[in-house]
Amino acid sequence: MHPTEEVLNAYADGSLTASEAADIEQHLGACLSCRQLVDELRDILRATSDLELREPPVRVWPRIERAIQLDRQDGAQPVQPGDAGTSPRLTGARVPGATSARSRVVLAGLAAAAALVLATVVGLRYLPGRHSDTAGSRSPIESSAQASANGAAQAVESELRQAEAHYENAIKGLEQIANAEQGALDPRTAATLQKNLAVIDQAISESRAALRSQPASEPAQASLIENFKTKIGLLQDTVALINEMRKGNEAGAARIVSGLKEKGN
Amino acid sequence: MDLVARVRAGDLDAFETLYREHAARLYTLACRMAGSPEDGEDLLQEIFLQAYRKLGSFKGDASIGTWLYRLALNHCLDYVRSRRAKMNKLTETLDAESSFEPTARRETPIARMDLERAVERLPEGCREAFVLHDVEGFDHREVADLLGIAEGTSKSQVFKARMKLRGFLRGQR
Repeated sequence: MHPTEEVLNAYADGSLTASEAADIEQHLGACLSCRQLVDELRDILRATSDLELREPPVRVWPRIERAIQLDRQDGAQPVQPGDAGTSPRLTGARVPGATSARSRVVLAGLAAAAALVLATVVGLRYLPGRHSDTAGSRSPIESSAQASANGAAQAVESELRQAEAHYENAIKGLEQIANAEQGALDPRTAATLQKNLAVIDQAISESRAALRSQPASEPAQASLIENFKTKIGLLQDTVALINEMRKGNEAGAARIVSGLKEKGN
Repeated sequence: MDLVARVRAGDLDAFETLYREHAARLYTLACRMAGSPEDGEDLLQEIFLQAYRKLGSFKGDASIGTWLYRLALNHCLDYVRSRRAKMNKLTETLDAESSFEPTARRETPIARMDLERAVERLPEGCREAFVLHDVEGFDHREVADLLGIAEGTSKSQVFKARMKLRGFLRGQR
């Protein structure tokens, strides 16, 4: 009579007593199929112990960094000792701009529309601070320092306008998707989203005002671009939330809502 | 000043150093617990953001690595619990599909990537038990506590996972 698979499994991982193991060994000496099962289970255990660590994609840290910087803009700092409980139990916070796998499992129409919009953003690499060099290399024979400065300023303004147009297009597309499906959200969540969007819109207005008074200011340029990214992140979350609601995935939706509320606080 | 103190003082470079030291281990855990690199990536981001916000609860009784690991594990467990109800149906389907008739034994060593992919294919429930017991090294009592199941259930889930892996890996010969 063959031992059960459970017993052979226990033998393979060494959890039988010595006398139980001796009985199994006696059986294995005469039974090819049981020996085969034990060998395969041991292969799996061996391979499992050889598994290596995986390196996370390089995009992860910049997203965390950005989320922390947003926290800081809201005045949040790491909690000091004694300010929190001893247990590090967690809730489902969301990271702005994260490409949620849960949001990837989306209804086809929304996914396709969002992909088209986001493709505009993915191709965009606006880096405040590199423009002076670029402008300089474009016009190495500028004879006048003033002319060079003017040229650089114009190049910056031109690139910034281009970047702004790309972000605004992306935001417009996402807003259309989100607005068309607003009915899928409960009124309280919709209100939270509107409140968060209003805060970001205000920040965008302030960045624009700062740029009007100081067009060459790198911090002002960076701030405007960062605010655009934040708005895109929030709109992405909105589309993901709508998808989860329509799929009836309350847990997934609750996680996103939790993140939205956290961002809004 | 140690890394934790520097982070508490607002030094983001220090937090990045913490991230670089521990991200691979926590990402690996998250990928395996969640069953996909995409979910693992999301979880990793959430874990480190929470770690930044909750650093005040780190008392220094254990190492910062241990604290981060516990935080990550809690986060992964919360995630798989919230997903479990939704996945029950799929688990039943996979259970029905997975009967293993004896076939020729694979003669080649198991490739790491094959095993990683096979672990990702394990059904909810037995995957977490397998990862915690066979990969992370918790004993069955600890696995039972972490997952909120009986110790006997942990044993049977790990057994089920190994048998399913055997079937998956045979299919990749």
